[in-house]
Amino acid sequence: MTSPAHNTKADQLFSYVQERCLWQFFSRTWDRKENIEGIVNAAGELLTGKQPPRHTPMEKLFYADAVIMVADFRQRFPWIESENPSHIHEILGVLKEKLVDISITNSKNHELSHSLY
Amino acid sequence: MPMVLLECDKDIPEREKHIYLKVDGEDTRDFLPVSNAQTIPGTLSERGCAFCGAKLVIGGVLKDTIQMIHGPIGCAYDTWHTKRYPTDNGHFNMKYVWSTDMKESHIVFGGEKRLEKSINEAFDEMPEIKRMFVYTTCPTALIGDDIKAVAKKIMQERPDVDIFTVECPGFAGVSQSKGHHVLNIGWINEKVGTLEPTITSEFTMNFIGDFNIQGDTQLLNQYWDKLGIQVIAHFTGNGTYDDLRCMHRAQLNVVNCARSSGYIANELKKQYGIPRLDIDSWGFSYMEEAIRKICAFFGIEDRGEKLIAEENAKWKGKLDWYKERLKGSKMAIWTGGPRLWHWTKSVEDDLGVQVVAMSSKFGHQEDFEKVIARGQAGTYYIDDGNELEFFEIIDRVRPDVIFTGPRVGELVKKLHIPYVNGHGYHNGPYMGFEGFVNLARDMYNAVHNPLLKLAATDIRVKEVVAYREAAE
Repeated sequence: MTSPAHNTKADQLFSYVQERCLWQFFSRTWDRKENIEGIVNAAGELLTGKQPPRHTPMEKLFYADAVIMVADFRQRFPWIESENPSHIHEILGVLKEKLVDISITNSKNHELSHSLY
Repeated sequence: MPMVLLECDKDIPEREKHIYLKVDGEDTRDFLPVSNAQTIPGTLSERGCAFCGAKLVIGGVLKDTIQMIHGPIGCAYDTWHTKRYPTDNGHFNMKYVWSTDMKESHIVFGGEKRLEKSINEAFDEMPEIKRMFVYTTCPTALIGDDIKAVAKKIMQERPDVDIFTVECPGFAGVSQSKGHHVLNIGWINEKVGTLEPTITSEFTMNFIGDFNIQGDTQLLNQYWDKLGIQVIAHFTGNGTYDDLRCMHRAQLNVVNCARSSGYIANELKKQYGIPRLDIDSWGFSYMEEAIRKICAFFGIEDRGEKLIAEENAKWKGKLDWYKERLKGSKMAIWTGGPRLWHWTKSVEDDLGVQVVAMSSKFGHQEDFEKVIARGQAGTYYIDDGNELEFFEIIDRVRPDVIFTGPRVGELVKKLHIPYVNGHGYHNGPYMGFEGFVNLARDMYNAVHNPLLKLAATDIRVKEVVAYREAAE
């Protein structure tokens, strides 16, 4: 059960991502899912003082998107610095759910599940 | 309530599904305009055709390639010179236009021999050019001319030439968007991987979906040069045919126009494992972000910060001068699709301009997801808008300036509302730091130009004639 305070914080991050990040709007369901998972996970690592892996091309991509987003999070939402790692992961978990909901599960975009590009 | 049925659409109520007015608290789960759908009978669409999407937008940009249009002469003329994409080799693509000039007898008896003759004639006349795109058009597709067979025969007879065929007649899709799609998928399947590039840097990328409008590509290329990144292929601004055959060797695909070129980026990821990074190239804040992301990918963050500092030192003061004078202006964006979501926040954040209405000719629902997420409440989001709808929307939102094409631009000028060419630009480039100052300057000159107001005054009478007269 997520606390209301964490929900409110996740809402702030969600508004930022909606307005700013193109990776949530890729062409197909699987691309969106991959981006949300990869970038939010990398952001979680960065926000908890760890370095996400940067070995494969996709890991480098997730890092590039996440590192810019995290810098903006820190600038726009100063509360994020004082959250402990478990809270960070909880808040980012809620963010991930919200992004999946709007860009995949309840998206009205009819092209998302075409098998071809 | 948020889907809007305009007064002018009362006899074509289906249009309601295409026009959205954003309200606070709503998002794209609640409403998303229907788009990339067939134009509704009874509305006069301003869309282009599928052939135009392939030729005018993507293929015709290349600087070393004959664009042979297999069809009546008008298909060639109408997709030539209406976009301004210069090149660094003397604007070869803008100087010449090629057509098989099909007439009735060729339609009756078949046009393949005429196509073969035209291809040979073009190569003979321009012996230094060895690359060609051949396009079908509506009539040659309908009579079943086999352009692939003709191209294959000529490539056997002339082994030094390479020809790519685009089988996308005007009727193939609901708008020019289909032409983007067909060309993207055709190119990746037939040409990518057929040539190996010379690698000159440890950092390589493709820059995808930028067409060098008034020099956009050339401006951005200065940044990539400074960062030490080799662009293997520009898809297709100032690009060459053979560079595009080498796209499989890049480490990263950077995508600007995801609508016209997202397909090839997706396929490059699927077929070759090259990741796709989407960026915005218009606006200071976006350009900084794009440079930072690209540099983070390659691990050259210091170079990126240095470049950003240099560019800000050169251009930020100028941008702020215009921002001070444009703050609070109201803007409408009526273009193809992606510029809606590329521009709405950049003009708001960098120039203090409020976007009050946006219309897309060929955007898909993905584009509307992006623009509604970024755009303001109280703004209209329109798919496949027509002239009467534009008049009505203008009455509702009263923009100070409209970014659109010359054709709609001439229309709104009659209402004494200034327009800036949102497709080919007034005085670009508009991308990058310098480019966005150019955009701001053109917007400033439009908004503060006294001529349009003076033109609304009929000096023969004492009362000022309302500008709405032209619409009545």
